[in-house]
Amino acid sequence: MMSAPARSKLQELGLSASCAEVLTHLWDYLDEQITPTSAERLQAHIATCAQCRQYEDYQECFLRAMAGLKQELSAPSSLRERLAARLKGQGCGCWDKVRREQQL
Amino acid sequence: MTADAGPQEVRSASDVARDAAFERDALPWLDDVYRFALSLTREESDADDVVQETFLRAYRSWHTFIPGTDCRRWLFTICRNVFLRSRERQRPTVDLEDGEQDAVAAGSVYAAAREKGYDDIYARLDLAPALRDALDDLAEPFRSAVILVDVEDLSYESAAEVMGVPIGTVRSRLFRGRRLLQEKLATVAEDLGFLGAAGV
Repeated sequence: MMSAPARSKLQELGLSASCAEVLTHLWDYLDEQITPTSAERLQAHIATCAQCRQYEDYQECFLRAMAGLKQELSAPSSLRERLAARLKGQGCGCWDKVRREQQL
Repeated sequence: MTADAGPQEVRSASDVARDAAFERDALPWLDDVYRFALSLTREESDADDVVQETFLRAYRSWHTFIPGTDCRRWLFTICRNVFLRSRERQRPTVDLEDGEQDAVAAGSVYAAAREKGYDDIYARLDLAPALRDALDDLAEPFRSAVILVDVEDLSYESAAEVMGVPIGTVRSRLFRGRRLLQEKLATVAEDLGFLGAAGV
């Protein structure tokens, strides 16, 4: 059941029922969280509606930009040294592997 | 080799097996856990503390890890709990709202962007610095949801396990986080003078 504020916002935007469905469920669709039947219905509408296609492009670009934030950061060697020392203190037999990893 | 463990003990076969499993399954994720911790704490020194505590807890609790399951997810769960405990006073008390409301509100942000001519800003500009700033400003628990799903590419189900909440809550938090980020980026676009530039 759609919330009242969401319903009122949709009315305000003056969208068709199909456009409103895309607007409401596009993220679910892009995240593959809706049923295949619902996905097919959204796809069918998007294929025929330039406005919804542009909105899909916009959200896809946003999600790509987000995914691009995943940096190949490595744990600093100072952290590895400290963690190795603490694991050694716990009796961990592989503590030295924490330090060795940095040389790979 | 067992010689690394120090001279004080003779290691049992089960200790050796545990350490071998910990080395094989947990240690390869150190960089990933560090990256996740840094995105939560936003401070390198705090991230160091969180990562150390995460791996020490993981080592002590290794008997609770189920072999064959996703160790990265398990470590992320511990990491987030360590982080939240270290920020106890900031523990979120956010009301859950309908995710659809945020999805629709994001549509309004887009409509405004389109009207003002910067709806293709994500395609035209490298927004990574602005996105990172916006993400840093995003409040918990929305930040965790966005980082886990959109940046670290976890499924809703995995993110729900890491955050210890139902899948529906992940969805609500994720949608709110995305909407807030897009609102913030709309402000950035306006500040950059993108008004009317796209010619849509």
